[in-house]
Amino acid sequence: MHEMTGGADPVLRVSGLRKTYGVVRAVDDVSFTLDKGRSLGVVGESGSGKTTTARIIVGLEHADTGQVAVAGRDRTESRRHGRAERLRRAREVQMVFQDPFLSLDPRIPVGTALRETLRLHFPRRDGAARVAELLDQVGLGERAAAALPRELSGGQRQRVAIARALAVEPAVLVLDEAVAALDVSVQAQILNLLADIREQTGIGYLFITHDLGVVRCVTDDVVVMWRGAIVERGPTERVLAAPEHPYTRLLLDSVPRPGWDPGRVAADRRALASTAAPSPSSPDHRKS
Amino acid sequence: MTAAALTRRPGLKHIRTRRNGLYLTCLAFVGLVVVVALIAPWLAPADPNATDLGAALTDPSPGHPLGADIAGRDTLSRLLLGSRTSLLGPLGIVAFSTVLGVVVGVTAGWRGGWIDTALSRSSELLLAFPGLLLAILFVALYGEGLLAPVVALSLAYLPFVSRLARSLTLSERQRPYLAAYRVQGFSGLSICVRHLIPNIAPVVLAQSTVNFGYALLDMAALSFLGLGVPPLTPDWGSMINAGQTALLQGKPLSAVLPCVLIVVTVVAFNVVGEHWADRVARRER
Amino acid sequence: MSAATHVLEIDGLTLRLPRTARPVLDGVDLTVGASEIVALVGESGSGKSMTLRTALGLLPRQAAVGGSVRVAGEDVLTMTPARLRDLRAGTASMIFQDPRAAINPLRRLGDFLTESARINGGAGGERAVVRARHLLAAVGLTDRVLSQYPHELSGGMLQRIMIASALMNDPGLLLCDEPTTALDVTTQAEIVALLADLRNTFGTGMLFVTHDLGLAAAISDRVFVMYAGRIVEHGPAGSLFGAPRHPYTAALLDSTPRLEAPSERLAAIPGQPPDLRAPLSGCPFAARCAYAIERCRAERPEPENGVACHRAGELVLATVREGDRPRA
Repeated sequence: MHEMTGGADPVLRVSGLRKTYGVVRAVDDVSFTLDKGRSLGVVGESGSGKTTTARIIVGLEHADTGQVAVAGRDRTESRRHGRAERLRRAREVQMVFQDPFLSLDPRIPVGTALRETLRLHFPRRDGAARVAELLDQVGLGERAAAALPRELSGGQRQRVAIARALAVEPAVLVLDEAVAALDVSVQAQILNLLADIREQTGIGYLFITHDLGVVRCVTDDVVVMWRGAIVERGPTERVLAAPEHPYTRLLLDSVPRPGWDPGRVAADRRALASTAAPSPSSPDHRKS
Repeated sequence: MTAAALTRRPGLKHIRTRRNGLYLTCLAFVGLVVVVALIAPWLAPADPNATDLGAALTDPSPGHPLGADIAGRDTLSRLLLGSRTSLLGPLGIVAFSTVLGVVVGVTAGWRGGWIDTALSRSSELLLAFPGLLLAILFVALYGEGLLAPVVALSLAYLPFVSRLARSLTLSERQRPYLAAYRVQGFSGLSICVRHLIPNIAPVVLAQSTVNFGYALLDMAALSFLGLGVPPLTPDWGSMINAGQTALLQGKPLSAVLPCVLIVVTVVAFNVVGEHWADRVARRER
Repeated sequence: MSAATHVLEIDGLTLRLPRTARPVLDGVDLTVGASEIVALVGESGSGKSMTLRTALGLLPRQAAVGGSVRVAGEDVLTMTPARLRDLRAGTASMIFQDPRAAINPLRRLGDFLTESARINGGAGGERAVVRARHLLAAVGLTDRVLSQYPHELSGGMLQRIMIASALMNDPGLLLCDEPTTALDVTTQAEIVALLADLRNTFGTGMLFVTHDLGLAAAISDRVFVMYAGRIVEHGPAGSLFGAPRHPYTAALLDSTPRLEAPSERLAAIPGQPPDLRAPLSGCPFAARCAYAIERCRAERPEPENGVACHRAGELVLATVREGDRPRA
């Protein structure tokens, strides 16, 4: 039904992304598309290249080669630094970071931070009304506008970060482990909030995470990254129910549950590491 | 439930209050010196430059509460008015070096690349130049007056501030809130001015307070050498110079008092600066 | 039960900090038996790490403590500093969340492993090295790491080193403070398998602090659930997660995104955990609980048969996950 590589009108198209740091291939030929209003999960462990991919997409890093296009317009080509270009790029993609304790300026009250963004992007609109609207949208009262970040809990700060990203009215929202630092009960609140926002606004999500439970909750499609490359892709239901790549299977088996056998997972992990050794011609190449 | 309630480590609390006492004393002294400098003309009992050869090298008396120097000038009045020049010079140095140092350091840390290399190398070059020699060179080139040594010493102090500002910028840059502003479309300049600099300011200001003490010492050394401060202006450093003969004649008060004031003021500024730096470091954790 | 069968026995532990309106720990009762893995589950700020640390006598400054914490039968809270050092060097040891932060990056790992033996134990360096080699084999590493530096190893390997170093003096009690949270999921399985293995080989009792319910269920024999400084429920892992009796445990299970359940909206727990600055009356969970009645807000529930809930007798929470949950 839904074809991942050839959606009719993808809002985000990533093709042939590569990035190396020295000899390490952090991102190795990564391509995917995100259709309007859909949610795509990017799953992998640390070092899989998922965060580097996200940072390239929002423009915090430059790819060596490859393209990132939003609504058909290439973001990677243009090296112009003008104000209009900067604002236009910001309205294409916004990002919510992992650590709610570090992603807000500690000195700036919530309302001021939101107004700052609104003034930059929509100087002629009524800022105060929009701030109230945004706070309401993320489930914070208007009293939160006067609060400094340190007076808020982790979940509330993450709501502020989401409101700030939504203030720009982007086409795509990149969520980089956005719920990983939160407690389970708060995490559920934020995940539900994100689902509601998508329903209301039709925004597209790129959900970077290592947590398969979260992926299952909030994404339609998923790509699995391993050592910089995509090893499996497809609708989330299918990938989680019938994984094809051994690494995806390993990830699934690694989730603790009653009757879980960590010893077998550990053995599988070693087996996978040895089959993927640098020289495929010597299958016996094992590391101690 | 057993009622074995106990309070841990009462000893450390004691030490901390004592250190706080030192800080408060120093803060009070710094405040006093600044206030005195501001209202010195109204406090001074006599004209600091009025020579009264009859009173030369007298011991403290009702007319001259702290005695008079070899030219018969009232030591107390000279000390009071001398605090103005003695503080004004370092103030200029600290203001100049802080503003310029932050601009250089933040630019280098934020932009990175060749700009960083160029700025860092050139400020290291300045570091290799002894500040006092640079100041003497400037005075020789541009003549006497406060401006030349202040500019020279500002340049000499600039690398200390810029290196600190650069390393603070580098570590602050790692924080995602700055990345978030970039993603939001803010320009680098506005992020630095509105978010980065206010967040690193407390540490820089604490360092500048410590610098103030050193600058005071350097300026005093210059005026002791007879450079920098114009001849008739009372100044602690030049008072020590003028007091040398008095020292030899067994009437040390006019030379020793400015020495004591310089030392105590420098120590007070250092203690206050260190305490602020500590407090910022504690808050960061 | 006699103290001999328990390596850790916490009894009515309360801990109060200055400038807080309620105790950080409020009457915690908990036991760990020899070669038993006990999980302590809770959200951040629930007091789970603080409880763990009291077992080593690591108390915050100006903390007022009450109750007793006995390790191998001896009360930690009344120990002299010298006795505490012995305890930390021998009877009980601890592994931390982030191994990279807990190991000196400038020293070789061999030095790190044998350091405490060289300083504390009279056994001497030779025996320490022999023991280190033996333990490295037990955690699945080769002797080669003895001459390596921390930056040369991955996070998972470093955590094995941490575990080996914690076992150097053959402690009866191993305290694990979220030892797999900073690691990748596939590495987590390895570390957990290793811990389970070591418990069998060395007979070490373990107190395992985690916020991950699934992990707690998978590895532990018994589970204690903590909320706002109190143990709200405890029991065998299987029955606690299969049939939770405290509404908080049930709500926590419901709000966890899981692989098996139908992918619908999560049943989030409304509100925030109670703040330390606000005093608590009645049940700490009452404000967020879907089943709270007047009595819950007024009267503190005492633990009874392993659950501290006024309505434990009448509620049937096991059905909650089949979609029978009350809607707000």
